[in-house]
Amino acid sequence: MLMQENDASQRTVGVDYTIAPNMAVAFHAQEHTRGSPFVMLGPQLNLLLKRWNMEDGQGNIFTMTGAGATLDRGDMRPAVWTGVLADYETRRIFLSYEGRLMYAKGVEKSAWQRARAGVAPYLGNYEDINTWLMVQVDRYDEKHLSGHHVSSLPKTDVTPLVRLMYKTFLMEGGVSVHGKFMFNWIMQF
Amino acid sequence: MRTMLIAAFSLIAVSAQAETIVANVNGMVCAMCVTGIEKSFRKQAAVDAVKVDLATKKVTVQVKSGQSMDDALVTKTIVNAGYAVTGIVRSR
Repeated sequence: MLMQENDASQRTVGVDYTIAPNMAVAFHAQEHTRGSPFVMLGPQLNLLLKRWNMEDGQGNIFTMTGAGATLDRGDMRPAVWTGVLADYETRRIFLSYEGRLMYAKGVEKSAWQRARAGVAPYLGNYEDINTWLMVQVDRYDEKHLSGHHVSSLPKTDVTPLVRLMYKTFLMEGGVSVHGKFMFNWIMQF
Repeated sequence: MRTMLIAAFSLIAVSAQAETIVANVNGMVCAMCVTGIEKSFRKQAAVDAVKVDLATKKVTVQVKSGQSMDDALVTKTIVNAGYAVTGIVRSR
């Protein structure tokens, strides 16, 4: 799976490869753009901790943990990150919560939380374009460990967005209440 | 003798017919679920074709003529793809 996310706070690219039914290895690269930009990259392990398969839906709890390096104005420093993602989805509704903690030595430590709620206005099958209307709430709490990364972006932002899925391709885009654009896509192989 | 030959040929003809397996599956909600299940079945040597229907929650597997897939393998394939099997029906 190849994925890419872009919003006012970050740009990320990730490649996931599933090695077991409950485990995937990934490479994660992220450019933080809330203050002066810095890049964080490294391998990541994604674990499916629990899955509920219901007649009309599915619930999941995942963790994502990685370690690597931060590139900050020519300096390379160690970085670690971990997160949890919980979701519940039917063909009609979607709910999720994601929280991530990140520590980049001498650069930044931060917590990011995202909650999403969505509804499908019609029920599509595999051959159809599936449409979702969603609202996303992001919350950033960060402590800058150097004087170069002071963020001017809001700590909390709300983004209405549209998600389109066609077979193995997903894309979504929206504009936040603060006027910030976001665009993400995922391709499954 | 003639009756026995007809019976034997009939038996061979029936056994050579491809089997269709329909599994009822819980947890399928999106197109990516469909892709995951189809990909898992296509890795099985006995599978000729597979179709997933989100609306009816059914996975239909066409087995190659002369080959077979038992319930345990069908269930394992779906469970390893991340979903739960609630029933399996077979027909020829």
